Amino acid sequence: MMWTWLRRLRSDPETPDMITCQEALARVYEYLDGELGPEWTEKVRRHIETCRRCWPRFELERAFIDHIREQGLPSVRAEGLKERVQALLDEADSA
Amino acid sequence: MAGVDRDSRHAEFEAEALVHLDDLYGLALRLTGGDEPRAEDLVQTTCLRAYERWSQYEVGTNCRAWLMTILRSTFINEYHARRSRPTPVDYDEVGEWSVFEGRSPEDPEARFFENVVDERIVAAIDALPDEFRLPLVLSDLQGLKYREIAESLGVPVGTVKSRLFRARRQLQRALYDYAREAGIIS
Repeated sequence: MMWTWLRRLRSDPETPDMITCQEALARVYEYLDGELGPEWTEKVRRHIETCRRCWPRFELERAFIDHIREQGLPSVRAEGLKERVQALLDEADSA
Repeated sequence: MAGVDRDSRHAEFEAEALVHLDDLYGLALRLTGGDEPRAEDLVQTTCLRAYERWSQYEVGTNCRAWLMTILRSTFINEYHARRSRPTPVDYDEVGEWSVFEGRSPEDPEARFFENVVDERIVAAIDALPDEFRLPLVLSDLQGLKYREIAESLGVPVGTVKSRLFRARRQLQRALYDYAREAGIIS
């Protein structure tokens, strides 16, 4: 990772524009949610690619959101609900 | 003739729509923060509305998504009607500190949340105040964009961002505390 970082420092003429960790972390959710514009998405992507401190944070935040998505909306059976809905539809039919 | 049409409409609705009842109820529970009677009412109103508008639905397209949209908008309308003024939210309670600070993704303790499942996750989401829970449910469980959430809730996009940020932090904290109490992490 260090080598990638050094290589990027040398080869990338835009390195002085690299954003800070604080700037990257402030946008973690917008980045993961695909809500940053193309310019900031690129800035954040370049930052986390090379930052030892931010990359783990972004990975964990991403895993956390994925886990909530998978677990947060179980399908739930409510006793008798189907029958109550059917009765409502019957009522609507006869109205 | 009208009776036959009615019977076929009823049968079609049962086959296409009512098979999604458990999913609708699941979403209704998250939106209402686990309020079962309110969630049931919401599902019933949704089904009735969908039935009335059944002619607008194109058979074979995504019925589940169509029903979820009706349920969301029914909930949001009701939410605006019952809420004369916003519930005060204690923003100070949610600090900037993250449970992931200084952790590595390879560290099993940093991935504590993966050992917290089902009803614990659901209970932690339901326990969030409305202001935080709704952006989180609409974003993470319904896949809405920030702009769509802002329009639904009638707040600026910036407010959606900050509430979603706080909702996720508060949820992380709640699950972290639970994981510690349950001995999942030390």
